This record gives sequence, C-alpha cells and structure tokens, in this order.
Amino acid sequence: MGLEKLTVQRVAPSHEKSWVLGAARFIVLIIVCSIMAILTRSDEYGFVFLNVSNLLNIVRNASILIIIGVGQTITLTARDVDLSVGSVLSLTSVVAAIMLNRYEIAFPAAIFAALLIGAFLGLINGLLITYVGMPPFIATYGMLWVLFGFSYLILQGAVIYGFPAGFRVIGNGNLLGIPMPIIVMAVVFICGYFVLNHTTLGRRFFATGANIETARMSGIRVDRVIIAAYVISGFLAALAGLVLIAYTNGSEAKIGDSYLLPVLAVVVMGGTSLSGGQGNLLGTLAAALIMAVIHNGMNILAVPAIWQSLVVGLLIIGTVLADQWLRQRA
Amino acid sequence: MKPHASSFLIRVPSAAWVILIMMIVFTAINPRYLTLDNIVNIVLQNAVLLILALGATVVILSEGIDLSLGSVLTLSGVTCAYVMESMMDSGSPNAVAMVAGVGVGLLTGALMGIITGALVSLGKLPSFIASLGMMGVGGALSLVLAKSTAIYIRNPLFSFFGERLDKSIDLPLMQYLSVPAFIAIVVFAVVWVMLYHTPFGRYIIAIGGNESGARLSGINTVYWKWMVYVVAAVLAAISGITLAARLEAADSIVGVGWEFDAIAATILGGTSFAKGKGGIAGTVLGVLVIGVLRNGLNVIGVQSLWQPALTGTIIILAIVFEIILSRWKEGRRWAWKN
Repeated sequence: MGLEKLTVQRVAPSHEKSWVLGAARFIVLIIVCSIMAILTRSDEYGFVFLNVSNLLNIVRNASILIIIGVGQTITLTARDVDLSVGSVLSLTSVVAAIMLNRYEIAFPAAIFAALLIGAFLGLINGLLITYVGMPPFIATYGMLWVLFGFSYLILQGAVIYGFPAGFRVIGNGNLLGIPMPIIVMAVVFICGYFVLNHTTLGRRFFATGANIETARMSGIRVDRVIIAAYVISGFLAALAGLVLIAYTNGSEAKIGDSYLLPVLAVVVMGGTSLSGGQGNLLGTLAAALIMAVIHNGMNILAVPAIWQSLVVGLLIIGTVLADQWLRQRA
Repeated sequence: MKPHASSFLIRVPSAAWVILIMMIVFTAINPRYLTLDNIVNIVLQNAVLLILALGATVVILSEGIDLSLGSVLTLSGVTCAYVMESMMDSGSPNAVAMVAGVGVGLLTGALMGIITGALVSLGKLPSFIASLGMMGVGGALSLVLAKSTAIYIRNPLFSFFGERLDKSIDLPLMQYLSVPAFIAIVVFAVVWVMLYHTPFGRYIIAIGGNESGARLSGINTVYWKWMVYVVAAVLAAISGITLAARLEAADSIVGVGWEFDAIAATILGGTSFAKGKGGIAGTVLGVLVIGVLRNGLNVIGVQSLWQPALTGTIIILAIVFEIILSRWKEGRRWAWKN
C-alpha cells in the first residue's frame, strides 16, 4: 500500500547476475576472513582463527541465521519484510521446549507441532497483509510484540533446561564429522535455492515482488503467492528455533529477539532488494558467513556484547547505503 | 459508490467506539474504573505516549515510519540523567544541572533525528530499515551509558516535571492536575500549529500524498523529509525526559516497544499510509485506546504475566477493525477483504 507508488522501475531477475553477485560477496568473505585471521593471530597460538574447529564453529553459528535468512529472502522477493521472524522463533521454541521438558511428549511430535505453529503464524502474517491489507512492516511488527507476549506468558519468565538426547541430535550431533546444524542448513539452503530459482512458485515470487499489478493481470493469484512466502518464512523460523534450542539445551522467552537485526542485515547485504522482486540466496549465504566471521572475530578479540549490537546496527545501515549507491551507479 | 453508513456513523471516529466499548466492559467488571482519580491517572500515564505518538504521526503523515523512536526516548532520558547526575556529583546547583541535563537530552534526540533523517532523505534508504538500524545504535548506546541498569535521578527540581501538582502547590483540586499532562498539551498545540499553520505541515502532507508531485511543484522534498525525522526525534526526546522525571530514573531499556504503541496509536487514530490521510487529533484518540486498555487491564486485576500478550492481540485486532470499518464507510462491498 502507499509505499509502492514510490518505487522506481524494477529490474527483471536474472540467474546469471545472481551468480556474479554471489561470487562477488564470497570474495568479500575471503577478504574479511583474511583480515580476521591476521587480527586474531597471536605469537603463542598462531592463526587461531583458521583452526578447522573454529571454522566449523563459525559455519555452525551462521546456520541459524542462514535458515531464517532463506525465509526472509523469499518474503522480500515476493513482497516485503517479515519483522516477526525473531518472535516466531522464540514462540515456537518455547512451545517445543514446554512439550519436551514439561509434558515429555515424544520429540518427533514436538518437532512437528513446532513447525506447524511456525507455518500457522506465517499464515496469519500473510492474511493480515493480503486480506486485511495492512502494510507488511506494520503487520509483522505487530506480530512481533504479540508473539513476544505469548512466549512470555507461556514460560512465565522461566528458563527451561534439558531436552531428551534424541531431540538434541539435530543441534549437537555430528554426521561424518560435520555438525548437524550445518547439515540442516545445507538442506534448507538447497531446497530454498531450488524452489526460488527453478520452480513455478519461485518465478511467481519474483513476478509478484517485481510488480504486483502486472503479476495479478498475468493470472498469478498474488494473494496466495504472498501468503506462501510468509508461511515458508514462519516455518523456517520455527526450524531455526528447534536447531537452536537443541544446540543450547535451553529456551527462554527472548531467545529469538537478537536475530531480527542480523537477519535483515544479512539479507540486504546479500543483495536482496528491499523493494521486492530481487532475491539472491547465494548472497544471503555469503553475507551470513561474513556476519558470523565478524561476530567470531569480535568474540576472539573480546569486544563486549553491548557493542556488538551497535556494530550490527551500523553494518545494516552501511550496507544498505552502499547497496543504494551501487544501484544508482549501475 | 454511495457510502453504506449514515452520516452520524461516519462522523464518529472508530477509535471512539473502541474506547466506549472498552470503558463499558471495564466499568461493568470493576465499578472503580470510572472514578475521577483513575481518569486523571490515565491522563498522567499516557501523556508521555501522546508526545511520542505525535512524532510517529508526523512521520507517518509523510509516508515514512520511524522504528527508532523508542530507543531515542530511552537514549535521551539516559543522556539527560547521566549529565544531570554527573554535574550534581561535581557540586553544581540543582537548577544548573537540570537545565544542562534537559538540554543535552534534547540535543541527543535532535542528533539521532538528524542522522535518521539524513539516511532517509539524502541516503534514500527505506525509512523502516534506516530507523531499525538506528534503533540498534540507540539501544546499544543507552546500555553502554547506563551500564545496562538504571541511572537514578535525585533532583527535586527535575522531578517536578513528572508529578501531580498537589505535591508542589498546596491548593484544592491540585491532585487532578499533573505536569506531564501540561507538557503534552503544550506539545500538542505546538505540533498542531506546525502541521496546520506553517509550510512544514503543508509540505510534509504534500510529500505524504504524492512525493514526486510535491518535488515537481518545487518543494524541497529532501529538506522537508529530513526535518520530519528531526521533529519526531525531538518529540521522542521530550517524552523520554518527561518519563525520566516521572520515574525519577532513566532505565537503559525503558523505551523498548514504545515505538510500537506510538505507531499503533497513530493508525488507530485514523492516520493511514495512504495519501497523507489523518491527523494528530485522531492520534489523541488512538493513544486513549491504548491507555484505556492498559489501565483497564490493571484495574480489573489481570495478571501482569498476561498483559503483553493481551494488549498486543487487542491492539492488532483494533487495527484490523479500524481498517475494515474505514473500508466499509467508504462503501466497499467486500469490506473484509483488501
């Protein structure tokens, strides 16, 4: 609504370009890694940053961000932001935690229920945006606070610890020496990439995001497409929450709060346009890894946690500014 | 198409209906709800939100959004308290410390607004992303300055700005008047004049209605859009300082989520993102919806545990109600669907 009329002409999506843009970001990733490796070098331990265990650790930390980021990339491609992902993550992980820990429900059932709730919350977002016609950032920002309220209500301010070993496998298990979160992330990323770039649904996401009126006139049921995008986003946020609590073995009402800003930063850094119709999943992957490297570096350098949110805030503004500047040049 | 509703229904804003329904429900549950003392309490509690919501309305009228208002509120309260306390520690008199503190608080707000505004107008960032970034920056700075806790303010002169008048003036009926309410009224009057009797108001409403049209007719859209965010942030600073005076402390996370209340109040008051519709008179009603709801839940004894979930849900439902009702008033046949 409203804001659309300000948007300028949009460029049609192209696969070739997305490869180039993704590759450019992987080069930045290598540069950032080199800088971090040099910054964190110490005479005693050498290049601590480049240990295999540290690198795997970085990718594992990035996994949560990438899983949510795939969903965010899809909603941004099809319509607009989903500001509720952090809260969806909190609520679903809180519900799963209660089911596993307090009611001792078998873990496949708990996982299924949490994913279903995530998808349902995405459905509500989609309905508020399409049927009610709320601007997406208002609808999802409202949901952010509502869902936070419910997570707080369900947990009553408590923190839940301890889940069955079978459930924890998805967070701290290994497969051929690779941590499970990385495997889950890889599966999600490959599926997301396939859906977005090689299916009719993916084409519809791009078409709807690029120009909703044209898409409608060419026979796409845009409402359903937008709802599908938000359902996917909710589902993936719930999945990320499950992986996260399986890894940390605990859950609290604010567990997902800290993910909203980084996810937006990562998706935008990855080259997905905020005005719709330009999703770049490879870019999201690269940017999430860059973000994780910077976080890891700040931790090794012992930067206080408070300053890290400042860095993320500046990073998001800086990258969007650079993005706008590059787009004007191009 | 001819509107469905009669002229009476159209003239009464939907927020007024929501307030009426809520007041009837709350009074039915607890008759103490409808006492003069409680109503004065509602006014006192929501004066701060009104000042903040006026800022949110100005931004939304220009067809932008400012998610950083809550963190500007926090940050200016914290800088105000920080300067005031450190000056009093070094022996400055109360009055000097207060003026310096309030000045620094307002400057902090203005500075945040200048940055957000520059990002939106010069940098051409979508407003929600620029302000979301500034929300992170402001929140982090507040935590650093207040060392993740609260700064307590021991300045009786400053506390006056957050109190009811019976604490300072010994006259009858003074317990019904409060300084925050006066501040809110003055701010409302100033914003009213700015919006409806100066070029600022005409230009930002023109920008909200049709930005390229406004630019083509010779309005310096970059400058006026910039000013919108500065005005909103200064209003957020005023509300942050008033809140600090009322609580006699500046907490490092006090403003978290306030921007949602402010934006919700604006939308409930009938200001929409379409074509610069609405105005600050509606925002007063919108603030009352939220204020009456919060206060009512307390008075009827809903546990604090339930309140975030309940208020959030009711606010969202009220917004949905408001949107559907406005479509129905316009005479749309399928008002429930966009």
